[in-house]
Amino acid sequence: MMMISKVVRRTHMYLALFLFPWVLMYALSTLAMNHRALFVSAYGEGPVPFVEERRLVYDGVFPENAGLRTISKQILMSVGLDGAHGVSRREDGAIAINRNDLVTPRRLTYSPADRTLVIERMHARPNALLERFHRRRGYATGYAVDTTWAVSVDLFIIAMVFWVLSGLWMWWEMKVTRRVGLTSLLTGAGVFALYLLTL
Amino acid sequence: MTYSHLNRRLHLYLGMALLPWFFMYAISSVPFAHNQFFEQRDAAKGLPLWTLRAEHTIDMPVPHDPAGLRALGETLLEDAGVEATSYGTYRHSPTQVNVYAYSFWTSTQLKYFIDQKKLTVEDRRFRWDHFLTGMHARGGFEQEGFLQLSWSIVVDIVCVSMIVWIASGLVMWWELPGQRRWGWVAILAGTASFLFFTLRL
Repeated sequence: MMMISKVVRRTHMYLALFLFPWVLMYALSTLAMNHRALFVSAYGEGPVPFVEERRLVYDGVFPENAGLRTISKQILMSVGLDGAHGVSRREDGAIAINRNDLVTPRRLTYSPADRTLVIERMHARPNALLERFHRRRGYATGYAVDTTWAVSVDLFIIAMVFWVLSGLWMWWEMKVTRRVGLTSLLTGAGVFALYLLTL
Repeated sequence: MTYSHLNRRLHLYLGMALLPWFFMYAISSVPFAHNQFFEQRDAAKGLPLWTLRAEHTIDMPVPHDPAGLRALGETLLEDAGVEATSYGTYRHSPTQVNVYAYSFWTSTQLKYFIDQKKLTVEDRRFRWDHFLTGMHARGGFEQEGFLQLSWSIVVDIVCVSMIVWIASGLVMWWELPGQRRWGWVAILAGTASFLFFTLRL
């Protein structure tokens, strides 16, 4: 029993020491999202604006009948920006690529008619960066670094559940804290139940 | 009571009181992280997500300012007989305004088709993954009402508590000299991994 207790305590601590940047990021980003109105009043309504970074003539040749994903990947690789992205064709025939770079998201617009490629970067805003961090997840991008991040998010979820369960275990082991601990737990659970029933 | 004692008790009792929120945020992250799985699972049932409850004929001017639009949403909800604890009003297109009324358990959508002078009321089928993600995403100070505002304050308290857990946890780790070396390894490895993701994602 002593051995199990020690393993639980050490795992609780070392998981937290390793994952503390994730905890901090999720805490700060949630605060930013909970107070989005403050940022709207500071920066104004609407999406974050883009500023032009580069404009060039793209002289690459695409394979015959190339799909949008093939074209976007080739363009991104050519300009050294390969990574997770979304792509669509606009009504005027231009290809719009949204490169989901975490720190500096970019929009690339390729016009096949005159082979112009315009690269724009999103204006830097701390709340937008935190929100991108918070919302980044999923295994669908096909890029190894994104898949690894998705694994880290899953690991973080498992760690949260473990912190709850191991925290309860450690609390129960300290007899002197049982009364106040139970009062805290029941108070929290009662308030949570009230919200569940009324909100 | 020593500082160390106080620090330990703060770490513990904050955790006990906020345990339902922390657990809820953990469990509700699963449908966010594995959205495709839940969508495919639900699509296989072949059931419609929204069901038409009622249709009304109305003719109302649509204000452009956010406060006016929200007031219109409230009026539309009243006219349609929809009781809502929380709602949002959105200009879906130049000819359509949507009002989304929700609680943790139910969601109702009103669509006002301006040019057709028509208002439809639709109810969303209950889904456990939507229940969890709805709870996870609930926050902000735009809603009226004491309970709505107090929930958002609790969300703030949970966030601040997470920062307190980091700080108090670091203090507790430092008080265990035998764990310092491996503790540093864990901190540096975690920080390096996080920085790697920040720069490469």
